[in-house]
Amino acid sequence: MAFRDVNARRHIGLQQLSSLALAGRTLLGPMKSCKFIVDESTNQSTLICSAVRLIESLDLTSAAGQLLNETIQAQNKEFKTGMSTLLFLIGAWSNAVLECLQQNVPVSAIVSVMSEGLNSCCERVQCLQISTHDVNKELCSSSVRPNAFKSKTCQIGHDDLLNPQIFLHFQKDISAPEEVIPINSCPQQEDDCNFNKCLVSPLTGFGSIASLVKPAGDKSTSVISGSGVTASSCNRQKLTHSRYFSTLGKSHFSSQQGNFQGYLSGQCECYGLGHLAMTLSHGNQTSMKLLQSIVAYQQERAECSGSSRFNIAEIVTCCLLGLPESYSCVSPGFVTLVSPEQATVIKYFEDKPLRILLMDGDLTEQYRHLGFNRPCNVRTVLEHPSLQEVRAGDLWLSSMLDILISFKVNLVLVKGNVCENLMERCIANSILVIGSVTRDVLCAFGEVTSAQPVTYLTQLNASCVGSGAQVELWEACDGRAMDLGELVPVGIKVRGVPLLTAVLTTTVASKMQLIEDQFWTLVYRLHHALNDEKVFLGGGAVELLCLSHIQMLAEQPLQPANKNTVKEFHNPWLAASATEYKSVVLQALASGWKQYLSVVMCNTAKAASELEACTLVDHHLKKAAESGSPSAYILKGFRRGDLLRGGSGPFADHGEGLKVYDNVTAKTEAWRRALDSVLLVLQTDAEIITGPKRNQLLNSHVSSEFMFL
Amino acid sequence: MSRLEAKKPPLFISEPLTKDTVSQSLSLLSGILKSCYGPAGRLKQLHNGVGGYVCTTSQSSAILSRLSVSHPVLSVLTASVQNHISRFSDCGLFTAILCCSLVENFKSLNVASCTVIKISKHLLSLCMDYLKSEACGCRVSVDFSSLEALLCLVRSVLTSKPACMLNKPEVDHLTTLILKAFMFTVPCHVETNAVLGKCIIVPVKGRRVVDSTVLPGLLIETPDTQLAKPLAVKRTCSNMIKIALFCVSMSGDLSNPEEGTITVPYGISLEMSELNQLLNVGKQLVNDEVGLVVCQKVIHPSLKQYLKENHVITVDRAGLSLMEPLSRMTGSKPIASIHSLSPSCYGSLKDMRIEKFASKHFVHLIPNDTVVCSLILCNRNETAWDELKRACETAEHVLQLTIKEPLALLGGGCTETHLASYIRHKSCSLSTSSFKDIDCSRTQYQLVADGFCRSLESVACSLNHDDGEILTDMVYGHCWFVPSGFPSVSNWSDLVSKCGCGINGNTENLNWRLLQGQFGSPIIQGCPKDPSVKVADFLTLDCFAAKCSGLQVALETANLILDLSYIIEDQN
Repeated sequence: MAFRDVNARRHIGLQQLSSLALAGRTLLGPMKSCKFIVDESTNQSTLICSAVRLIESLDLTSAAGQLLNETIQAQNKEFKTGMSTLLFLIGAWSNAVLECLQQNVPVSAIVSVMSEGLNSCCERVQCLQISTHDVNKELCSSSVRPNAFKSKTCQIGHDDLLNPQIFLHFQKDISAPEEVIPINSCPQQEDDCNFNKCLVSPLTGFGSIASLVKPAGDKSTSVISGSGVTASSCNRQKLTHSRYFSTLGKSHFSSQQGNFQGYLSGQCECYGLGHLAMTLSHGNQTSMKLLQSIVAYQQERAECSGSSRFNIAEIVTCCLLGLPESYSCVSPGFVTLVSPEQATVIKYFEDKPLRILLMDGDLTEQYRHLGFNRPCNVRTVLEHPSLQEVRAGDLWLSSMLDILISFKVNLVLVKGNVCENLMERCIANSILVIGSVTRDVLCAFGEVTSAQPVTYLTQLNASCVGSGAQVELWEACDGRAMDLGELVPVGIKVRGVPLLTAVLTTTVASKMQLIEDQFWTLVYRLHHALNDEKVFLGGGAVELLCLSHIQMLAEQPLQPANKNTVKEFHNPWLAASATEYKSVVLQALASGWKQYLSVVMCNTAKAASELEACTLVDHHLKKAAESGSPSAYILKGFRRGDLLRGGSGPFADHGEGLKVYDNVTAKTEAWRRALDSVLLVLQTDAEIITGPKRNQLLNSHVSSEFMFL
Repeated sequence: MSRLEAKKPPLFISEPLTKDTVSQSLSLLSGILKSCYGPAGRLKQLHNGVGGYVCTTSQSSAILSRLSVSHPVLSVLTASVQNHISRFSDCGLFTAILCCSLVENFKSLNVASCTVIKISKHLLSLCMDYLKSEACGCRVSVDFSSLEALLCLVRSVLTSKPACMLNKPEVDHLTTLILKAFMFTVPCHVETNAVLGKCIIVPVKGRRVVDSTVLPGLLIETPDTQLAKPLAVKRTCSNMIKIALFCVSMSGDLSNPEEGTITVPYGISLEMSELNQLLNVGKQLVNDEVGLVVCQKVIHPSLKQYLKENHVITVDRAGLSLMEPLSRMTGSKPIASIHSLSPSCYGSLKDMRIEKFASKHFVHLIPNDTVVCSLILCNRNETAWDELKRACETAEHVLQLTIKEPLALLGGGCTETHLASYIRHKSCSLSTSSFKDIDCSRTQYQLVADGFCRSLESVACSLNHDDGEILTDMVYGHCWFVPSGFPSVSNWSDLVSKCGCGINGNTENLNWRLLQGQFGSPIIQGCPKDPSVKVADFLTLDCFAAKCSGLQVALETANLILDLSYIIEDQN
């Protein structure tokens, strides 16, 4: 066993956390700058725009890095949102804790004051929660002012996505790649020379993306170079639905008015979810519009059937590479990609209702259900060889085909892989077989067609086959031909099937993942908001209140020690030294949120520098304190839409801004997880390396760093 | 062609304890373990150095099981501590630290090791007699008719594991849950020999700790496909659910692959014949009006389909660990063969339903008489969850040990300092005849007793990880903590508020002294008093059985190590 002391003067683990988190600074807030991650060994690069993808692409062999990865993945699995906040706060709080250690604050004091401080803040900010029901009502009340209403209300349908102005606007929002992080070296951009070393020149960065999009044609390349030109200015871009930044640029305002025409009248209550989706979208127009369409569809269905209003399990995505982003839309039913050969089957179907079969395994001869152990010691002997002997594989193929034909099956959805030969035979017999279908999709089709999923075709009986499915080639809204080369999108529908497919389109291959991620993030935000039944006021309101609350906690005279101890669990090993260092540690906690606000303001170009942003935050804190009731002050600022604004900006006179909201649980959990990881690393004083690596270390040049048992 | 290699002679190492490498390794191990001790203990990251899973922990069970020690002396030590942990779960660090301290302290004495061993055995018997006597000042009796002491025991276990990352409300929530789970496992109708039931921990990682909960009965995780609709269970005439429990695989493969080859003529499918056999079992289950079939392993999809068509619910892949509690809870005998099915094997259930936690679906089996329960344990990430699981298991075990012997020891270092005070007092007042019995001089006895007491006190001192002072008082012999930053000359009574276990407040002048640093000067110690008030409310309490065993194991292991005169190493 090798043993390394990590707590020598400057805590190595915390330093690692802070330097890893530094790479995620520009991913914070609604204006994210994408990054290229370049693998130096293979020269392959990935375009990323979220903390999860960043962490996935980095080499994280250190213990602290592993912990960071685990934390981010856990948040992603649970919420699909809040990972950038988590990553940022881990970095900010690591730095703050390192400062505390420099001032000789005992570890136990840091741990107890910080975790109690966070607890207290989480309780305090409850007053900035607003129930989702009230968000809906807000829309109703604001509808009396038609001017505000027009810019705010949601729309259904996807015609507006065709508007070139919006499209361009969106293109610019996805700002140009800002940094290139070499995958194999530690990201440290703080000092300039280091930064320059890491930074492959921007030209090569764009070069690589240009080569990526070549097959898509000239148009997309020009889009990319266009955004490259605006790279320097794009941080100045004003956002429309940002939670941090709620002014509306005049030009955008008018262009949107044009778009938001022909909605609903008077039925605002029904479209409340659409409004909620918009307030949670934080400026992501494309995803928002798709989500609003989904919400409208589901709401309509909910009114008929009484099922839940928003069901995440009924949403699937289908990524189409090669169509402009304006073609993104929502299609009822299940849209998926098939080979051109499979697509030829469809024209034989015409409009007749199809018999559908669902399979929850692979459709291959070798496949056996999970837990089936193949016998290894069985030998088959052929006693009377005959001349008409058929090969075993052919036997299987023809018997499977016979089963399908005898049950008159037209369409087979398979969860796993499909045997190529069987696929060919099926196509020849006008049976469409589609593989890699998720379980949720199988379930949805099972419910409406009364098909029972089977594992083997031999299990099949009449009651397993469903009916009433329809398949057609999927068409873009303008009927544009789908010449995507290898794969063809098809839509599968059954009357009453609750599935909705968000068809995501882009001409830039490297953006596909990014667009899909962003869509799901927004879907989950709405999902969590409805689960929580409440949302936080956005735009930095919550963080600002935390800061003001900490200010108050730090100034509070020390509580008389005996006041609460009567009925409280006594733990002298934790509590004793805490009071002495309270204000220092609370400042450290506050610095996390302060940096968060200032970085968001810088990323959204609301402040020219972090210093300016900090001053602005301080200014608001002071005013909040002077007002006597910080929460009322913040609430007022939020309602006016000028929270965290200097007051002298070009749009200061603008009326009511758009309200922006945030998830409650996802946000507070991100805070808690961030602090937990920092404190976990802080309390760690040694790494113990087990296994074969020990001998390697013993003989290596760093062996002096280790002790061996 | 084979080549013979001459065997190497075994390596003899005499007086292993005098070697530098041994004492260095021992002090490193002791340092690692001491730094982990207590609620403010430092954590260790255990990993393989190449990007594998990182275990962040301060628990002896986790550290010792992954630690590979190369020296035999250390192996003796870790093996006996691990053995203690496997029997008691708690007090592993206490045992290990005390053992290291005893070896270090006794080794430095200029007394023959056989004498040391004799005297230390006598000291141990003094301690054990005292701990088991009514007069013992560092133990409290646990009243099972009230919750306070039990809550204290559980809370002390949870708070001493900082890597669980719990805040105060979370500790309170879990403390109640663990106690509730324990209550479920106590049988309602006690016959001559009552057996405690079992609490199964169900992992739900990624959730908040406060989402954890306890349910009576068992939870088995299942994929949600088959359970979309509400459950309609077939019931017997007495409104019970008849359950068949299989511990044999029903996946339809050849169940026992033995040596040799099976030769099958072409055209005959073994799989089909196996499946037919399974379907026959299915027919019998349906005829016998079984409502639920649970299989430890996998059930063939065709059999599942058949049973489903006949309204029998199937749950497969229940796992080995659930079989024993399942069979106990339902009164069914696990069926180990699909060839013979006796109706006497079936058990019964009161009810079953579907529960959903996070993204997981569970079948919840509810028995008539609850001695089995499920603790759905949530924590935010993997590392913290693993640590919390170990802590919960320890807490459950502590409660089980306490119900057998309803006593608890004062925690927070107080038992250690109190025992040390008692031994100091006792060793001064020992009669000369006792020395004759042990065959040692008074001075020798005093030296060893002092080493023993210092070892105990060093365990208490290990609770302190930031700068600061550890005190003990001369009246009760308890342990007190003074935060850093105060000059040591100041009046101690201004600085202390409560003792480590929380039983004594700073109400009278208790004549404090520094615990460390006054070696050499003899300490005149009166017999430590029993604190007059024994309200077991919000105290730090330790498990009596675990600590007593820890004390014995530590001393006996230390004696064994001191007694080593040769290490014979086979070099081949």
